[in-house]
Amino acid sequence: MHPPGEETLVERARRGDPGAFEALVVSYQSLAFRTAFVITGDASDAEEAAQDAFVKAHRALGRFRSGRPFRPWLLTIVANEARNRRRTRGRRAALALRAADPHAPGEDPETAALASERRERLLAAVERLRDDDREVLACRYFLELSEDETAAALGIARGTVKSRTHRALERLQEELQ
Amino acid sequence: MTDLELELRDLAAHLDIPSARPVAGAVLTRLVRRRRRRRALFVALAAGVTALAVALAVPSSRASLLRFFHLRGAAVTIVDRLPRLGPRGPLGVPVTLDEASFRLLLPDGQRPERVYAGDGGYWLRYRGLLLFEFENGTGPEILKKAAVGTTDVENVEVDGEPGIWIGGRHALYLPGGPARASGHALIWQHGRLTLRLEAAVGRDQALAVARSVR
Repeated sequence: MHPPGEETLVERARRGDPGAFEALVVSYQSLAFRTAFVITGDASDAEEAAQDAFVKAHRALGRFRSGRPFRPWLLTIVANEARNRRRTRGRRAALALRAADPHAPGEDPETAALASERRERLLAAVERLRDDDREVLACRYFLELSEDETAAALGIARGTVKSRTHRALERLQEELQ
Repeated sequence: MTDLELELRDLAAHLDIPSARPVAGAVLTRLVRRRRRRRALFVALAAGVTALAVALAVPSSRASLLRFFHLRGAAVTIVDRLPRLGPRGPLGVPVTLDEASFRLLLPDGQRPERVYAGDGGYWLRYRGLLLFEFENGTGPEILKKAAVGTTDVENVEVDGEPGIWIGGRHALYLPGGPARASGHALIWQHGRLTLRLEAAVGRDQALAVARSVR
């Protein structure tokens, strides 16, 4: 699924129209940042990775095959940039939960506290998984990427996304017991 | 979807992922800088080719001289027939005067309606007038024009610096782009900048505007 007119924008960007490329950057900057953040765990690294990815994507537009969706192609570049940064740092910062909003309506404090505790436990279990298991879950459930997009972002076959997701969910279940 | 998958989706909504800072501006600035660096290389190569072409063409006859006009950053050649001319594309990325990488010169000191970064320089749009400015320090050929024999092309001087007046329809080439149709234009050097003014005015009025830039 990509926004209407994307193919036209990509074609115009390939012909050197900076306005068209800017429109693509604006459409995807949030997804690029979130993807890079889930991989690096660091906002500055994610921002730099997103920027570098767009610059590299622009340079590689000539190799982009017409008619193909732009989003998975861009995600491959973003994920590569983010992984390079994570490797340079030697470690990835752990993801954290947002601080609970004490004024949030709807839930009574006790229910909210229980839900928060459950989420803390689940996130800690995700963080204990191997990198490849954690990444496939992050792509599928945190970023809500399709199987094709996850395959592109992780540089693996679509069939591997299915099997790896299945395996990662089983290991996560084990971690939680 | 299993309960565990639903819980992961719920967890995603509660993750502390900072809001993405907009990167479009930074990305486009880097692309403009990169294009300028590549053009500098292209221009250095083109300068060598042009020098060779002039050395071969100029001494041969007076007719050759009339067919080639040149100043730092621009060349005009006279051709028998204009190529197919495409419509003018977008001028570039909108920027403010302060965002330009060098101080832009303004006719009579007047601020333009719009400024765009593109084609290795800056386009300044005024009502009825379009000004293009770029740094010429790296040599000629950033800007290339062709004019038919019937178009009035002459060397002029603007405050002691060389310029070329092109009266009439001609084709404008910018590196990497198609030929674009252009009306009357004046190109001139101003220190390390080369400026190109396009407006539906005569030669003397164009020269007056060029002399007023500061």
